Amino acid sequence: MKRREFIQKSIGVTAGAGALLTTVSFAKAFGAEKPATGPYDLVAVKGGEPDEMFKKGIAALGGMEAFVKQGDVVVVKPNIGWDAPPERAANTNPILVKAIVEHCFLAGAKKVYVFDNTCDEWTRCYKNSGIEKAVKDAGGEIVSGKEKKMYKNVTIEKGKKLKTASVHELILDSDVFINVPVLKNHGGATMSLTMKNMMGIVWDRGFWHKNNLHQCIADFASHQKPNLNIIDGYNVMKRNGPRGVSVDDVANMKYQILSTDMVAADTAATKIFAVDTKKVKHIAYAEELGVGTTDLKSLNIKRITI
Amino acid sequence: MQKYFKRARVAVALLFFIAILISFFDVKGNLPSAFQNSALYLQFTASVLKFITPGTALSIGFIVVIAMTLIGGRIYCSTICPLGILQDIIIFIRRKFTKKQQLRFKKALNVLRYSILILTLVSITFSGVLLINLLDPYAIFGRIGTHVFQPAALLINNFLASFSFLSLPTIEYSPFSLSAFIIALAMLFIIVWFAGTSDRLFCNSICPVGTLLGFLSKFSIFKIKIAHSTCTQCGKCQTVCKANCIDIKNMEVDETRCISCFNCIPVCDLSGIKYKRLKTVPVKTPDNKKGLQRRILLTAVTSYAASKAIPFNTNEISVTEEDLYFDRGPVAPPGAKSIEHLKERCISCHLCVAVCPTKVLQPSFLEYGFTGINIPQMDYNSYFCNFDCHKCGEVCPTGAIITLPQEEKHVTQIGKVHFQVELCIVESEETSCGSCSEHCPTQAVKMVDYNNDLTIPKIDPNICIGCGACEYACPVTDPHKAIYVVSNPEHLIADKPKQEKIEFNDTEEFPF
Repeated sequence: MKRREFIQKSIGVTAGAGALLTTVSFAKAFGAEKPATGPYDLVAVKGGEPDEMFKKGIAALGGMEAFVKQGDVVVVKPNIGWDAPPERAANTNPILVKAIVEHCFLAGAKKVYVFDNTCDEWTRCYKNSGIEKAVKDAGGEIVSGKEKKMYKNVTIEKGKKLKTASVHELILDSDVFINVPVLKNHGGATMSLTMKNMMGIVWDRGFWHKNNLHQCIADFASHQKPNLNIIDGYNVMKRNGPRGVSVDDVANMKYQILSTDMVAADTAATKIFAVDTKKVKHIAYAEELGVGTTDLKSLNIKRITI
Repeated sequence: MQKYFKRARVAVALLFFIAILISFFDVKGNLPSAFQNSALYLQFTASVLKFITPGTALSIGFIVVIAMTLIGGRIYCSTICPLGILQDIIIFIRRKFTKKQQLRFKKALNVLRYSILILTLVSITFSGVLLINLLDPYAIFGRIGTHVFQPAALLINNFLASFSFLSLPTIEYSPFSLSAFIIALAMLFIIVWFAGTSDRLFCNSICPVGTLLGFLSKFSIFKIKIAHSTCTQCGKCQTVCKANCIDIKNMEVDETRCISCFNCIPVCDLSGIKYKRLKTVPVKTPDNKKGLQRRILLTAVTSYAASKAIPFNTNEISVTEEDLYFDRGPVAPPGAKSIEHLKERCISCHLCVAVCPTKVLQPSFLEYGFTGINIPQMDYNSYFCNFDCHKCGEVCPTGAIITLPQEEKHVTQIGKVHFQVELCIVESEETSCGSCSEHCPTQAVKMVDYNNDLTIPKIDPNICIGCGACEYACPVTDPHKAIYVVSNPEHLIADKPKQEKIEFNDTEEFPF
């Protein structure tokens, strides 16, 4: 968030010197033609396996080094909300999570933490999602998201409905926050994407459900921005989300989206899912709050097919 | 050689005690259920109840215990019964840290102990297993283990975990049940008091299992006996007898109260007291037994009448047809078959409560009625039942909760979803929610299109299994949850959710 603000300001002052680093389209800022090369605002990968998709995708964004510096403490937040095996796609793909943690260490991360405030009983979620093992294999540390004392109150300045929230300490204290939702249908929020996934870093979700869920999701996104978002669209739960009933709900779509812009990433995900972006109201609400843009045409997008 | 009997007894007893304690410390149900099953296989009452329950694993632990008793007396009471061992530990500590008090011979409280035994058995006909529930030593220990020892262990663990160099994980506390805690604590106090003042008096005057096994001990092959030829009546043996059953004056040992702890053997320098093979002596029945039985019967009849006169779960509060929240009944865990079956088998050892990974299973108070006091029920304020988990059924030692195969658990309907649309956020606030449907494993609660691009829950009770996920997740609290589970007193089989493979046509192009 801060980086982008800084960058946006620096664009104004130093006429695009900072634009090479930024993820906000300088094309948009200067009204120029879209460049054929990077930097990219959004990378979409199609085909292949989750780890190689990520490898190609992150390379297009300048590698993990663009996000993780030597000695950084990183927190990766996949969706581990459900006691379901990987093939049910209720949780983020463990192979992807493993690849992300590995890349963080390759980029010089000191520590990589992974957690989620789960819906089902957390130890079962961690185990049966395959994510606990994936994280440990990659040398990361998986921690409980169910310790209330770990959550600290923050004020949501721009929040319309959500004025305060209790956020997990790891998110507040880490140098880098990587948000890794799984692309899926959601009965209440229409879709579960990057901004919806952030409900797993706060304590009292009941309040959100009670007080205009979509607005709360957008409000929180205006406050807490991940340094990088990776949407796992490898296996996609097309209906009965977010928990799903069986593997019959799942289509092997093989997509992955990487972006620092949550609104843009979520917009792209709705197109992949073939649902009207407007129906996922928190996307428009978040755009209104300046979280990002739904105008994909204005963005510099890299499309990779494997 | 018999000098080592005591040490062997202590070793075996500690082994059982630690294994049983670990069974109750398994907060997240991570241990393989076989561990609990083996640790508790020889628990007498539980084993009998499981034996008479069809559809459970072969339970012959009680036969082993009976055989053991017929061979060597009340070995169960000194090596297998966790409450007995707990008392031994208390007695040991007491004798270690107070001035070594010499134990004496005391007369047996025959009227009391046989009345309790008979009353317990007779009461089964009218109040189910209530008295067993309250008096069975394993059940008493289980409740203490679940509601006193487990939280204490967690407290210690979490205190140590606050020192980060130990790198211990903090463990969440289970929901606190006041009634269960008070009952367990009261029992612990009683046990500590008994053991602290009167040694094994509880086992020899209150415990129905102790009395029954004591009766069987009359016929046991090996018994502790005083050798009249060598005994000098020095009385050393008597001073270490926790059962107060050595009568040195008459050189007799009351085999019905002897718990085969073998404390007496090593203290005798002359080998005057020994574990010996003996002929059985004719059984002397207490003279007043007949009169007693009549009195017991009378008490039984009156208390039965009384229990009928004060009915529980009255339906006096008039409720609207729609609002069943306060009248939906307690929900029995999957595998309990029916509330009736649960009440017939459950002795409230609370092992299921101790190991339930989600802690949805909580002790009831009077929800099942007085005769079902403390029996576990599903508490959807605590959490909800995990779809793929059946730990409670796997560990239940009495057959109150039968182990269900995964597929059967998935369709076992313990209650049905009930939705009050007027309380729902989507209806009242006109905003999205979907918390209930989100958590529903069968999509018995499904979000369907509603005004202004909203979605609202639609329920299908036929595929609902009553896991309570919707109720737990519902954010409405005023006046109560908008969606909740109404109990099935008889568990039913739900329909399987109809599922077809989702269609997906891959395209070459990116859609943006």
